[in-house]
Amino acid sequence: MKKLFSFIRQSLSAKISIWIAVLTGLVFLASLGFMFSQSRQSVRQEAINRAEQVLDNTVQRVTNILDRVEVATNNMDWLIVRHLDTPDSMFVYSRRILENNPDLNGCSISFEPYYFPGRGKYFSAYSLRENGKILSTQEGSPNYEYFTFDWYQLAKLLDRPCWTEPYFDYNPDDIYSTGIIASYCKPIKDGQGQYIGTISTDISLEWLSETISAVKPYPNSYSIMTGRGGTFFVHPDSTKLFYQSIFTETLDREDPDRYALGKAMQAGEEGMKKLKVNGEDCYVFYKPLGETCWSVAIVCPERDILGGYKRLLKAVLIIFFFGLVLMLDFISRVIRHELRPLGHLTEQAKTISAGDFEKEIPDQGRIDEIGQLTRSFTDMQHSLVNYIGELKDTTAQKASIENELKVASDIQMSMVPRLFPAFPSRDDIDLYAAMTPAKEVGGDLYDFFIQDEKLYFCIGDVSGKGVPASLFMAVTRNLFRIIAQQGHNPADIATQINAVLSRDNDQGMFVTMFIAMADLKTGALSFCNCGHNPPVIVRPGEAAEFLPLKYTNMPLGIWDGGEFTGESLADIRESVLLLYTDGLNEAENEQKELLGNDAVLQIMTESAQKNAHDIIFDLQLAVEHHRAGVIPNDDLTLLCLRLLKA
Amino acid sequence: MKSGFIRALTCLLLLAGAWPAQAQKFIFTPQWTAQAQFAGYYVAFEQGFYREAGLDVEIVHPSVTKPALNRVQDNESQATTLQLCQALEIIDSGLPLVNILQTSMNNALVIVSSKDEDPLQQKGMRIATWTAGFDQIPICLSIREGLDYQWIPNGSGLNLFLAGAVDGTLAMSYNELQQLRQAGVAITDKNVYRFDEHGYNVQEDGVYMTRSYYEQHKDEARRFAEASRRGWEWAALHPDETLEIVMDYVTRNHIATNRILQKFMLQEILRLQVDRQSGQREFRLRPDMVELANTLMVESQMLLKPIPYDELIAR
Repeated sequence: MKKLFSFIRQSLSAKISIWIAVLTGLVFLASLGFMFSQSRQSVRQEAINRAEQVLDNTVQRVTNILDRVEVATNNMDWLIVRHLDTPDSMFVYSRRILENNPDLNGCSISFEPYYFPGRGKYFSAYSLRENGKILSTQEGSPNYEYFTFDWYQLAKLLDRPCWTEPYFDYNPDDIYSTGIIASYCKPIKDGQGQYIGTISTDISLEWLSETISAVKPYPNSYSIMTGRGGTFFVHPDSTKLFYQSIFTETLDREDPDRYALGKAMQAGEEGMKKLKVNGEDCYVFYKPLGETCWSVAIVCPERDILGGYKRLLKAVLIIFFFGLVLMLDFISRVIRHELRPLGHLTEQAKTISAGDFEKEIPDQGRIDEIGQLTRSFTDMQHSLVNYIGELKDTTAQKASIENELKVASDIQMSMVPRLFPAFPSRDDIDLYAAMTPAKEVGGDLYDFFIQDEKLYFCIGDVSGKGVPASLFMAVTRNLFRIIAQQGHNPADIATQINAVLSRDNDQGMFVTMFIAMADLKTGALSFCNCGHNPPVIVRPGEAAEFLPLKYTNMPLGIWDGGEFTGESLADIRESVLLLYTDGLNEAENEQKELLGNDAVLQIMTESAQKNAHDIIFDLQLAVEHHRAGVIPNDDLTLLCLRLLKA
Repeated sequence: MKSGFIRALTCLLLLAGAWPAQAQKFIFTPQWTAQAQFAGYYVAFEQGFYREAGLDVEIVHPSVTKPALNRVQDNESQATTLQLCQALEIIDSGLPLVNILQTSMNNALVIVSSKDEDPLQQKGMRIATWTAGFDQIPICLSIREGLDYQWIPNGSGLNLFLAGAVDGTLAMSYNELQQLRQAGVAITDKNVYRFDEHGYNVQEDGVYMTRSYYEQHKDEARRFAEASRRGWEWAALHPDETLEIVMDYVTRNHIATNRILQKFMLQEILRLQVDRQSGQREFRLRPDMVELANTLMVESQMLLKPIPYDELIAR
């Protein structure tokens, strides 16, 4: 799986193919889903209509028979009442009703106990159709107390005509119908409206059962008929007939859907319900059967109704799935083919990156984006070749310039004393200086020399950087050495340097300088500060401080005119004097934070006991540490002096 | 040849010795068609308890033309089951009976109203009852409480009630009550009146035989009662197996019922056999219940005089 993901991540064609397949799949699924949802509803509705039509037809056929029974019975009523004075005529009527109505199976005209004086407790004129013949008898005996039977009592108690539930008749003493029958019963009333008996006509349920059972709108559908107690009177499972009701299974486990169906059928409602029958989703269409209080239902498994629909859905989904796979493969191949020039370009780019800029990219004559990209790549290759050529020239020129700069740097560095110890023959002078230009050449300078037991030294910082500053620095340094060697004090030196520098200074450049002269015999120090950073002095046993300056003259070279004012210290022996350019205290780190004067003073205090070389080293180290790898923003020049008493 | 004959004779003698003595024929007729109400007797037969008691019992159910009591009277059956009130009526009418085993310890009768109202609040209601009887206690209730119920004998099950032709029906908690549930009738706290919960808890089923037969076959009666009791105790311990046996009888006798109804019937019958005071299956006729039945029935003029407890029980 990791390999697969890795392949997909590395393959543009795979990614595009998958995206197209996913998008196409979603669009197809949404379309198919909508189409099948609509189709399902249509199929379902059509099935409902069909089942309802079949049910209606069946119920109508059965109801026609039942209606004939009811009409036949009702038509006989008046004759019975008219001939109550001749009990035996009841046999004639019970027989005649069967003769006139071949649908009827039996008929009894039964009366209340002892109704006819002299005929005993029981009088029921009963005729039965048996094997095509009509048999008549007088029913009723202690073993056949017809007064307690439904077909007699229902009409009496309800005081209206009604149908009994289907039942098995049994008379141990006389003839009886051997099959399942149901009876239509009607109360008989005398002239005063008093109930005197019941006329009951029977039909065999065999025909009705066969008619209803034959209703089979779908291969696995079946029909049922229930009575007013929900008892099954028609059911394909014969073990349920008369033994179970639609509610039976709900006694053992809750089944609200089945219970609701049973109650609806009991209530004589017409409709359709969906429920599980033996674990299978089924639609049940139900309708009452005339005035019988029975209900007929068709149970249709959903798989029948929606079987074709589901098969179609399955086939479409299979086609869709395989189509999607084929499409994925096809798209992948097409994309790979179309993107093949990109592969060449990739290879070409690798070749170029390996240094071979001359390899030709074949033009395939395409005008699409890939063709444009190829041409752009070729253009880029040509541009790159040109650029590389120019770069080579430039690099050569740069190398030449760098070489010159290196020479300039060497020259510049050679202009300042770089041999230490500076005065090996003297042990009363500990002096060390270092200059680190920010570029190849810098604008800082320092110098020192001894003349007539006087140590002349200076430090300066030319405005700007680079070559112009380095040239200005060279001029300044030469001026310092030439003028100082004439024995002038620092203020005069400054005045004269300024006069020379400010003349014809079209570039407006200037230099800050600290010029000093130490009397090596007395330790007295004369100095002139020309706009430069005040030096740091660490007197013996004291903390470092910036040398207090009474006068700070203007930098040199700005304009000619005016005298520069100098100052002096009585004795600097045993003190440490540090001259520096702003590359020290203004050294910046990545966050543009300066090293700062306080840090300089702290380092100087801590390092005061060390020699000049080590002090300079500590300061350089502190600057390097503070910059933390950031390119120096300014030249850094340090000069440390300690005069020792002889 | 001689030795072979001796060996054969020896085998025959051994076989004869191992053969049980000829068991006595004993026909038992439950008072109704096959159902779980008589499960203990079926179990006793099927598990061989009767055979072990040395009885050759045959269970013969009654028919329309030959009710159980007629069979006993005609000496076609040696024992039958009767409710206590039925037994008292029969003894009062002049046929001495002996209770050799009492199974019911509680009354199962209920009145179910077609409306969701207390039957006792519906004076004069038409109540369907059995043509075969079992309505002594309800009649006593009607008279005692001045309810003037109209009793409608019904020979065809619960259809009168379901068709709305009557206002209520009598039912046994183990039988018709479950059938009503099966017919979708909602049984609530209101529409059912349970006699055993309202001072009419009179025992019902017991095994009876004529006193004359009993006097001559006391040992046989004792063994039948003992084996029947074993049957009921086994049924209580093995309800699932018992239900299988019951369903076998039901199927053989083509009874219009089903397993679920018979399961409920068996559960209820076994519950009714547990005495409320002791919590045990006591299998005895309680004198206080005999006295209660006597009182109610004499009050309602169903008995001319109380039947003494001693006249009922086997000694």
